[in-house]
Amino acid sequence: MIDAPALQVNDLYKSFGDNAVIKGVSMDASRGDVISILGASGSGKSTFLRCLNLLETPDSGDVFLAGEKMAMKRNRRGHQVPVDIRQVEKMRSRMAMVFQGFNLWSHMTVLDNVLEGPIYVQNVAKAEAKEKAYAMLERVGLSDRAKYYPAHLSGGQQQRVAIARALVMEPDVMLFDEPTSALDPELVGEVLEVMSNLAKEGRTMLVVTHEIAFARDVSTKTVFLHQGEICEEGPPDEILKSPKTEQLTTFLSRLS
Amino acid sequence: MDAVLSYIPLDITLIAENFDRFLYGVWTTLVLTFLALLVGGLFAIPMAIARASKHWLLNPIIWSFTYVFRGSPLLVQTYLIYFGLGQFEAVRESWLWDPILSSAWWCAFIAFSLNTAAYTTELLRGSIVDTPSGEVEAAIALGHSYYKRLRRVVLPSAFRRMIPAYSNEVIFMLHGSVIASTITLQDILGVGRWLNGRYYLAYEGFITAALLYFLIVLCITQLFRLLERRYLPHLRERDTTTDSAPLPGSIR
Repeated sequence: MIDAPALQVNDLYKSFGDNAVIKGVSMDASRGDVISILGASGSGKSTFLRCLNLLETPDSGDVFLAGEKMAMKRNRRGHQVPVDIRQVEKMRSRMAMVFQGFNLWSHMTVLDNVLEGPIYVQNVAKAEAKEKAYAMLERVGLSDRAKYYPAHLSGGQQQRVAIARALVMEPDVMLFDEPTSALDPELVGEVLEVMSNLAKEGRTMLVVTHEIAFARDVSTKTVFLHQGEICEEGPPDEILKSPKTEQLTTFLSRLS
Repeated sequence: MDAVLSYIPLDITLIAENFDRFLYGVWTTLVLTFLALLVGGLFAIPMAIARASKHWLLNPIIWSFTYVFRGSPLLVQTYLIYFGLGQFEAVRESWLWDPILSSAWWCAFIAFSLNTAAYTTELLRGSIVDTPSGEVEAAIALGHSYYKRLRRVVLPSAFRRMIPAYSNEVIFMLHGSVIASTITLQDILGVGRWLNGRYYLAYEGFITAALLYFLIVLCITQLFRLLERRYLPHLRERDTTTDSAPLPGSIR
């Protein structure tokens, strides 16, 4: 399956109790695609992203990563569960996630945060991992902060470390869950710049965001979620300039 | 010298003459306290994990254990083991009687270990449960298995955060160890009691004992200050005067 899309999602459903949050979302991301996922709060965009690496377990639907299916089965109570948790862990390591709240490990230095994945998940030799980690920190412009603790960095710097931590895994797909929403306005730029550079390199990225400018300028495709369903999708130029649905029009007018 | 001593209302020479006994008492107290802390602490780790993970079978059992041992005084627990177990013929005839359950030291050691295990379990459980959920999610998303997550993120973080509270447990355990003196052991207070019983001089023995405990607590607090400096650098204010200097404390 050489030509398999980097990420393929088929008919994903997820509800919390009686509350159906994702109602049949499908998505394809080819290698190098940068898909921005927009939607009002409560539209299920974060939940969708978290279903991909099984931080939330979807009720049904399939996730393929580079053609490999995340194998799920039903347990006795009818809930969907992984067939093989090892496979899930492997696939998780191939789709690195960047969180809204950075989620750096606070008791580790910046360097140790970045080293964790290569050394303890991928079993890369320490010296090699260190070299890679420094290269990634260099990329996000923070190699001089390697020995700092996350608490001693600004939000923007912490998020850039989190991106370096994701990047060092050399993932097939990068998942960004509102990466700039927790940042002070003046710190948003530095994070978006790093992300734009990644996009230019041809990384496959799924970005849940409120940054319309980023969606318009950087992403190759924009998906607008409304109440757990894809309401509109297409090239950002088209759908952001001339939205076809009332929902997207309202959403965009509220933002500007 | 004698002129100075005559101003002090304590019989210093008597204390000096018996100081080797006090030193032996210090040794007894330290060994009993810290061995119990070590053994109790080791037992507490798996119990806290089981409690925090809400294991369907182990959690209620361990909860009952910690409830019993935190719910009754250490003195009562020690008496139950030392005076109580010997009542049973079966216990006296079992292999456990000699040399373990017939010995005051072992009974104190068992009671102290179980007691500190109960307190430490709850302390560590709280610390594990309080691990920022985002940090756990980041470890999951990275591809860590459950055990690697525990070993690499949850426990290192939980141990660090419980250091300040655990210093209290260590000090309480030290003070609680005076109970050993009520079942014939010559710990620090035991020597003080012996001095009092022999010479009818209360202050000489008890003030010396108090000062010795005081000294040990001083050492414990200093030790924990060092531990906090070493393991909690991320909770410290950054030294803004030396911005370019890297912070110490990276393990690697």
